[in-house]
Amino acid sequence: MLVLITRRLMTAIPTLLVIILASFFLMRLAPGGPFDGERPLDPATQAALQQAYGLDRPLWEQAWLYVSRLMQGNFGPSLVYRDFTVSELIAQGLPISLTLGGLAILLALMFGVTAGLFAAVRAGQVADKTIMMLATVATALPTFVTGPALALFFGLWLGLLPVSGTGEGGAWLIMPVVALALPVSGAIAKLTRAGLASVLKQDHIRTARARGLSETKILFKHGLRPALVPVASYLGPAAAGLLTGAVVVETVFGLPGLGRYFVQGALNRDYPLVLGVVTLYAALIILFNLFADLIYGWLDPRMREG
Amino acid sequence: MLKRHFPLVLVLAIVMLAVLLPFLLPWSYDQIDWNAVRAPAFGESHFFGTDEIGRDRLARLAAGTRVTLMVAIAAALVSLIVGIAWGATAGWIGGRVDEAMMRIVDGLYALPFMFIVILLMVVFGRSILLVFVGIGLVEWLTMARVVRGQVMGLKQRPFILAAEAAGTPSIAIILRHILPNIAGVALAYLMLTVPQVVMVESFLSFLGLGVQEPLTSLGILVKEGADDMDMTPLGLALPGGLLVMLLVCLTFEGERLRDRFS
Repeated sequence: MLVLITRRLMTAIPTLLVIILASFFLMRLAPGGPFDGERPLDPATQAALQQAYGLDRPLWEQAWLYVSRLMQGNFGPSLVYRDFTVSELIAQGLPISLTLGGLAILLALMFGVTAGLFAAVRAGQVADKTIMMLATVATALPTFVTGPALALFFGLWLGLLPVSGTGEGGAWLIMPVVALALPVSGAIAKLTRAGLASVLKQDHIRTARARGLSETKILFKHGLRPALVPVASYLGPAAAGLLTGAVVVETVFGLPGLGRYFVQGALNRDYPLVLGVVTLYAALIILFNLFADLIYGWLDPRMREG
Repeated sequence: MLKRHFPLVLVLAIVMLAVLLPFLLPWSYDQIDWNAVRAPAFGESHFFGTDEIGRDRLARLAAGTRVTLMVAIAAALVSLIVGIAWGATAGWIGGRVDEAMMRIVDGLYALPFMFIVILLMVVFGRSILLVFVGIGLVEWLTMARVVRGQVMGLKQRPFILAAEAAGTPSIAIILRHILPNIAGVALAYLMLTVPQVVMVESFLSFLGLGVQEPLTSLGILVKEGADDMDMTPLGLALPGGLLVMLLVCLTFEGERLRDRFS
């Protein structure tokens, strides 16, 4: 187990470095810069600004400086939110995004596994077919459609839930989390159903049945755990999907999370902000994949050596 | 046929409408009718009414669908070509080369790709060409994996061994004997790639990073509708509903094809 973790971490660091450097050079290739306004600045101001932010130095030197500062947790100043450093913006946005993503994945797991379990038990029956059809529909629901639709219905028409911003209590979380969780829960339901259907055909289940164990016990004690292996391997891509979805949901519901800063940064050419958020996203996804691997090992002991 | 493939029929009907409507409607998608700003739906001259600056909703819907589908097909083809080339090469050569090539695919899978595409959009300007090249380059990974698996399986089959023994060059074997045999599976995954690409394109356009005005796409229409939804819910419901319908139908058909071939 420890070997697996260390080995994963060893590959994670170069991966992260490649992502950081690739994004860094990509950003600098872009024509136009963060100080291109409506009115061109006079050359002296332009030069002063460039110098202040270190943009006049050779590219490799900027890259080196960036990475070495990053090691110390310094993401540099934001070019658009002038009074903030990128670290401050991230510290502000990260908890919101993590709350959204974490709750969404929990909800999706709860909902998806239950639905998949139910469908697998009723395999071939109407309930199974209906659930699987709904699951397919759910996977095809883009957050940028469900988000506004939920806001319109529950927020503007029924007036039950707040439409934008973070407020008192947790009511503001409900619609964003549901919009995020829907497509993921559909995919999880399908994976659970498929996994369970194949596990229930295996010999150890037949043995358990022959020994007269109750169906519930067979299902939960012997069936579910191996059946969840495909779900665990989906958690990595799901995390990436949730982070992307969060970008939309934060924009739609006006939440000051990481995703919103990312879009604002991308639209305004705020290099340090975009780079910082991409780096953080990459780190989060790598971390989550590692976590998924651990769950994987717990579900299927044969994988532990891997 | 008609009943079993209802989703496909629906998609084809939508495509036909999107292509034909511009020739039938008196309004173009960016034309402003100054006499009918915010006209209600089912009126005399505008079937679905007009938006907040007086553009015909139906015409915009048709134009948006066309752009979205064009981007989707082009991007899916890019992913098909890259995926088949990569997967077939890795599967055919095998050994170390295969391992290295598949490691790269694994590594790319782990990247936050949407963000790299957004970076690309920021760097190279938001041109429509780049939208589909960028998306196609993201979506080829699954195709490469599937094709590689298929090629690995085919390589051991007698007719391929016979072709090799007869001295047929590798390229000819791949083109003449392997590709026709993986066409079905590749088609199924191509079909599943299309809704993925539609989703990515609309996502980017929704955020203002994809297709740019005056051109329109379903993502842009959803965005416009969402901004104006408290006034006219129809503006959100039409493009949103159409988009979801397309995605659901394409996913259904793609999954059915995939299940048939695997």
